[in-house]
Amino acid sequence: MTTIQRKIWLLVSVMLLIMGIIWMMLTYYNQQTQEQTNTILQRYLRMNEVTIASQKMITDLNNFLLDPTEFHKVQIEKSIQTIEEVQQDVAKLRNEENAFAVTNYIHLIDSLVETTQRSILFSEEQELEGSTNEFNEANRISMYISEMTLSILERELKTYNRFYREIIQQSEELKKLGIWILLLVTAILLLATYWFSLSITRPVHQLTKAANVLAKGRFDEKIKVESNDEIAFLAQTFDEMRININDLILEIQQKAQLEHELQQSKLLLKDSQLKSLQSQINPHFLFNTLNTLSKKAYLDGAEETSDLLVSVAGLLRYNLKRIDRSVTLYEEVLVLYQYMEIQKARFADRLHFKANIDETCLHVNIPGLTLQPIIENAVIHAIEPEENGGTISVRIYRDGSWIIVEIEDSGKGITQEKIELLLNGQIDSNEGHSTGIGFQNVVKRLHLFYGMDNLVSIKSEVGTGTKVIIQIPETREEISDEAIDRG
Amino acid sequence: MRKKIVVLLAALIIVLSYFTIVSATKAFRFASELPASLSEMEDSVRIVLITQELDTPFWNKVGKGAIQQAKKENVELEVWGSYGNNEDDFLKKMEIAIHSKVNGIIVQGLDTDEFKELTKIKAAFYGIPVITVANDVPVEESLRKTYVGSDQFFAGQMVADQLIKEMGAAGEVIILRDEVQAYYQKERIAGIQNVLDNYPEVNIIIRGTEGTNEQVISTTQQLMNEAPRATAFIAVNANYAGPMIQEIGRRTQVEPYHIYTFDDGVESTVLLEQGKLDGILEQKPEEMGRGSVKWLVEWISGKTVPLNSDGYLTETNMLTSDGETQ
Repeated sequence: MTTIQRKIWLLVSVMLLIMGIIWMMLTYYNQQTQEQTNTILQRYLRMNEVTIASQKMITDLNNFLLDPTEFHKVQIEKSIQTIEEVQQDVAKLRNEENAFAVTNYIHLIDSLVETTQRSILFSEEQELEGSTNEFNEANRISMYISEMTLSILERELKTYNRFYREIIQQSEELKKLGIWILLLVTAILLLATYWFSLSITRPVHQLTKAANVLAKGRFDEKIKVESNDEIAFLAQTFDEMRININDLILEIQQKAQLEHELQQSKLLLKDSQLKSLQSQINPHFLFNTLNTLSKKAYLDGAEETSDLLVSVAGLLRYNLKRIDRSVTLYEEVLVLYQYMEIQKARFADRLHFKANIDETCLHVNIPGLTLQPIIENAVIHAIEPEENGGTISVRIYRDGSWIIVEIEDSGKGITQEKIELLLNGQIDSNEGHSTGIGFQNVVKRLHLFYGMDNLVSIKSEVGTGTKVIIQIPETREEISDEAIDRG
Repeated sequence: MRKKIVVLLAALIIVLSYFTIVSATKAFRFASELPASLSEMEDSVRIVLITQELDTPFWNKVGKGAIQQAKKENVELEVWGSYGNNEDDFLKKMEIAIHSKVNGIIVQGLDTDEFKELTKIKAAFYGIPVITVANDVPVEESLRKTYVGSDQFFAGQMVADQLIKEMGAAGEVIILRDEVQAYYQKERIAGIQNVLDNYPEVNIIIRGTEGTNEQVISTTQQLMNEAPRATAFIAVNANYAGPMIQEIGRRTQVEPYHIYTFDDGVESTVLLEQGKLDGILEQKPEEMGRGSVKWLVEWISGKTVPLNSDGYLTETNMLTSDGETQ
């Protein structure tokens, strides 16, 4: 992982390196040029030295000739030594271009020295004319030396002319180069800085955006940051936090839903219990009285009445006991028969009841008093209003893993709109129900019991009848049972 | 926006790199090599060719020949001299050459005492061999080692022969020479006289003049007044042919006159091409240059000692205006 710090270090050190290289190159080059210039300047200075030395020698010689003392002798010997040293220096200045001239020059110095020495010799031997002649000649040679210095310098200038011009040109070009390099490095630095800053700010932007999304409550969008520095690490951690929050929220939502469902089922139960308590005042008394009446009727020989009373008592007892627990389909079917017997006694020939029941299906658990309210509905809507009565048929059969219970009547039927309303629980009238439990109550209890929707469906055509279909899963999750039991 | 910035910067960098590279190649291109320095004193043979008439066609050719030969012999040679017969400067150059202890001097002979003193005393004192070229100074006066150039006596004879051939055996001939005669002029005139003396009908007028153009012109004027019937002119000093012809041309037509000179004048060749000169005596300047270097080197290296003091003569021939050569 490249950290931001390392990025900064890299940028700065690369820049420093480039600057350093440029600086070193320029310094090196400057030094080179300076050395060359120095060499050339030295040439000129040396040649000038020759002129000065030769002139000094002539002055010394003149002094000596005028006043031949030991002091002046020493002086002139010194200047002879000087000029010989200078001569050796000048010998080094020979090159291909000026070899001839410089060689001449060196010999001229030789001649000068020789002439001077001759002049001194003549002077010491008191030959005045000879020494004066030699002095004059030495003077002439000295003049020639000066002239030759100039001509050699001129030649040097000619030889080096191109070179000097190149040095000047190059130094000017170097100035330009400096400006170009400055501009180039600036541009590169700008670009590098731009990229560099982008590499820091882009992930920050992405992170900010992601944070905004989170702040708006959308926890399902993944946080993506294209980077490989600390920001990426931050983004990753942030993403983990988002996932955790998302999970927590989902959990809370599930729990809340569960709580809500539990509350609902409790309310429903309370509601039905209350209703049954309200409608059946002192049912034990009523139940005991019905049994006594049944015995009395039996003793009086009215056996049919006695049976009817037993049925009513059984129904009543079932009603009292089973409302809050699950029963088997078998028990439900028994209660169904008892209820139909009572209704047959009431409607006599007007009521035709048909049952087609698969005995193997009767072991499944269903909430108590599920079928009875539906049958009662059918009686209320299909038999009571019809003068000619009607038919109610019950069919129980297996369909794969489902047990299907169909209750069909031959009444007027109901409209599709009404079916929708019924199933959605928007109308619920339980007036006239013996148990006080309406259709809606049945639908809800089935939903809570099995934890599934759409277990009840209604098919109806106006004028031909209504069919209520209840689907019961053969196996059932135990949790729902417990939830129901707790109520 | 971002892309624009990046593209802009990238373009800028490319442009700037181009300029930087161009500038760098200019700035860091190595300067031209300085002449290699010679640290050791190689004792190569140094020869100086000294003339009074630098940058004249004749002496340029002598110099060219000498330089060629010097290259061949692998000796160093420089051409020194004065411009326009500046005697003082010429002698100074001689002196410098002697004091510079060159290995040999090739010089255009000058018939003056100063010159003779320089060659006889100074050069001999330093042991420097002197060779005269083109113009000679007698050996007994200059102690020169030898002479390389034309036989001036013979050259005079050739000019005279040509004159007789064109003019006929009778007539008046004007000869123009320097007031102070150089040795080579004496030789030339001697040669001319040697031929013309055989023709008694030919009358010779010899006159000296000062070196300036005005003097030459006035002398010509005088001569033409004194000898109006003169039909031929010979300029022994070739440099005087120009002003002389100019003066003749001012008076009358140049065409009928027979005018001759030598090729070592500044204008000689041009005047011949223009048809103003009837003929010039052509020498071999390049051969002189070559020969002088060759003999001098032979003397220095000890191959031929002593050199023939009569001189090594080069060819001469006559060049006439109609292109004939003899």
